[in-house]
Amino acid sequence: MSVKIRFFARFRELLGTEAIVEPAPGTSLSGLVRQVAGKNSEGYSAIFDEKGNFREFVIVMRNAKRVDTAGAAEIPVADGDDIAVFPPVAGG
Amino acid sequence: MTLSERERERYKRQILLFGEAGQEKLKQAHIFIAGAGGLGCPVAIYLAVAGIGTITIVDRDVVDQSNLNRQILHADRDIGRKKTASAVEKLRILNPDITVHAIDATIDGSNARKLVGGADGIVDAMDNFPTRYLLNELAHEKKIPFFHGAVRGMYGQAMTVLPGDSPCLACVFPHAPPPEVFPVVGVTPGFIGTVQATEVIKFLTGTGELLAGRLFMWDGLTGRAEEIAVGKDPGCKVCCGTNQKHAKKEK
Repeated sequence: MSVKIRFFARFRELLGTEAIVEPAPGTSLSGLVRQVAGKNSEGYSAIFDEKGNFREFVIVMRNAKRVDTAGAAEIPVADGDDIAVFPPVAGG
Repeated sequence: MTLSERERERYKRQILLFGEAGQEKLKQAHIFIAGAGGLGCPVAIYLAVAGIGTITIVDRDVVDQSNLNRQILHADRDIGRKKTASAVEKLRILNPDITVHAIDATIDGSNARKLVGGADGIVDAMDNFPTRYLLNELAHEKKIPFFHGAVRGMYGQAMTVLPGDSPCLACVFPHAPPPEVFPVVGVTPGFIGTVQATEVIKFLTGTGELLAGRLFMWDGLTGRAEEIAVGKDPGCKVCCGTNQKHAKKEK
């Protein structure tokens, strides 16, 4: 199984542009993001809070559809998924 | 509203694109620009020189030296002046044939409806999400487009919201990020502001394909432009669940 995960904005600076990962069967969407973000502690804590939950403002898109991050632990990733993770950019 | 000889000459090169009828649509239009900062400056400059007939630009701040790396309507001699006074002076020099209203105010729930008035579209040149959400809602109430833009560092994003037709700001970004003093270099709002102004011109002239349902993302660090298709959130309190009528679109 191969899944593409892309980061944007601040998350990209901390975690790189994109990664192709081969998650174990049954890996959840939040598990996948946690696994990839875990390579950089600053990047991880930009996306997840102290309890390991997605921070409220973080946007996760799976195949162009926004996912409710509160339920991302119950969503298994599938082969060919294109995951995008980004924060709202607020400056003007 | 016909064009004068002077206007035909001034806009000659873009009349080649939009025709005289398209230029007349720009002349008839009234665009509201929320903010005269990093995004608001390039948006206002390009809409002014394109011949948007009426521009209202609103800001509450005075020009600070630390603004000058990106807020290109303002210069050293404007430090300490109201941004609106500085902006209107420059815009009138750039194009004396249009009407510019500059209003020194903080946009909030008590005045936003009146400030936007009868404008044909709202350009988001704000630096915070709470005001963006307010203007996004107002655009739906008035059924006019909302041209979103935002920047941080060398990264920026833009999206056009057509009430009734496309996902709104709250569909894509339901929660505001925490406030911060964001890093920025002037080229980023220059780039994104120009994308927003392009969207306004396309909407008014009925040209091309708008960034509706498409979040445009620019990464200046890697020189990559990407887009993410975005859909409506069926639970969105702003644009779903109510009988939204379509934004008027010039044909």
